Amino acid sequence: MDIMKKRGLKLPKEGTFTGPALVWKRLLAFLADLLIINLVLFFPFKRILQKAIPEFGDYSEAYNYLAANQGYTATLTVVSFVMALLALTYFASMEYKIRQTPGKILFNIRVMSDVKEGAIWQFVVRNMFIIPIFPFVLLWIIDPLFLFFTKTNQRLSEILSKTKTVQNYIV
Amino acid sequence: MKMKKEDRKGRWHTAIKILIVLFVISFVASWFLSIFMEDDFRMQEGNVAVIPIKGIIITENYNVFGQEVADSPTIVNFIEQADKNPQIKAIIFEINSPGGAPVATDEIASAIERTNKTTVAWIREMGTSAGYWIASSCDTIVASRMSTTGSIGATIAYLEFSGLLKDYNITYQRLIAGRYKDIGSPFKAVSEEERMLLQKYLDRLHGYFISSVAENRGLPEERIRELATGMIYLGEEAKELGLVDVLGGKREAVGLIEHKLNITAELVEYKKEPTLADILGGVFSRQSFFVGKGIGNSLMDARQFSGIEVWT
Repeated sequence: MDIMKKRGLKLPKEGTFTGPALVWKRLLAFLADLLIINLVLFFPFKRILQKAIPEFGDYSEAYNYLAANQGYTATLTVVSFVMALLALTYFASMEYKIRQTPGKILFNIRVMSDVKEGAIWQFVVRNMFIIPIFPFVLLWIIDPLFLFFTKTNQRLSEILSKTKTVQNYIV
Repeated sequence: MKMKKEDRKGRWHTAIKILIVLFVISFVASWFLSIFMEDDFRMQEGNVAVIPIKGIIITENYNVFGQEVADSPTIVNFIEQADKNPQIKAIIFEINSPGGAPVATDEIASAIERTNKTTVAWIREMGTSAGYWIASSCDTIVASRMSTTGSIGATIAYLEFSGLLKDYNITYQRLIAGRYKDIGSPFKAVSEEERMLLQKYLDRLHGYFISSVAENRGLPEERIRELATGMIYLGEEAKELGLVDVLGGKREAVGLIEHKLNITAELVEYKKEPTLADILGGVFSRQSFFVGKGIGNSLMDARQFSGIEVWT
């Protein structure tokens, strides 16, 4: 910098600006979160799942068995719903409290609310895709499409919740 | 830069705190769910299903005075569950029943015939009438030499109060549309014609019973008709008559399956765990039953048969 001054050059000061987070960073952060959820949050459910799912030879065998045991299928649905709620709480509470999840901290990206004070509903709505029931499952297809084809790289749930995932760019 | 580092450290601390709280919630939730799923889990273990058929066989689950009953929807459901479970290789029906309703019996017998698994009927104290009908649907029947079995027959029985009404000068007013609409009414004496019709109905039912047993056991219908006098047989006698295959108990039933399928049997009992309401209901109805029984005994001239109860 001193050399520049000596030479009489007036360069703009080093600055940062906030922009949409890079898609690969978001993807890796999400995968890191999934890993943590799987290892920590779903760990107590391992015993249930191991016992609950019998060893089947093929998919048709499994389908026949589950179709014949409606009550059992209902119980498994409850278990998966509880697990999904836990995952939703993980994302919503972390993002509400610190605007980041461990995955996002690792990749230096964060969630920003379009309105001044981010409300809890915004962080719940932006993570609704985790709930494995209709119509939220449709977001598994719609959200990535929005992510790739909008200028701000926002998922539909992000647009609806008035939030965006950003990162700092240094200039 | 230092501020940023501390900020990042603080975020990690908060994230870890949240993660710990969520882990505790997850642990409690999984424990809570596993309590409710224990029955489902239990049914996943083992390769030989044991389905108990105890008490009177009926189509609805009435818990009359806390007495054990075998309701066909539950039993058929268990048979279908075992049939669809690829881990289950055979089904043992633990039968201790004096008989029951024909439709409920037919529902269970048909479900047994539909299953692709190896089926063994293990008759314990009693497997008579409908209990035997169900047993005959299985591939093999195992019974103790002292089990009570047979009683291939059908009965209609009811109390008739027409004499009592007459004694008290009470008249039974009979308004019917349809000649036999009040056939079997306890308030009037059964006519000879009605008796014949009811007998015809019973004979037909008896015929179904005989043909089913004959088909199931692979014996000539005439042979079963000879045995179908409604007579009960001891297990040993029943074996001699061809109504039972093997004399023994649980060990023999299990051994039979292990030998036939070349497996090491791990038994899993298919039964409905009683809910809190069932337990309370059972206690109250038992209390009421014994109160009623006590009053009844004091009013009746009860005969004691050296402590042995004979059931028919």
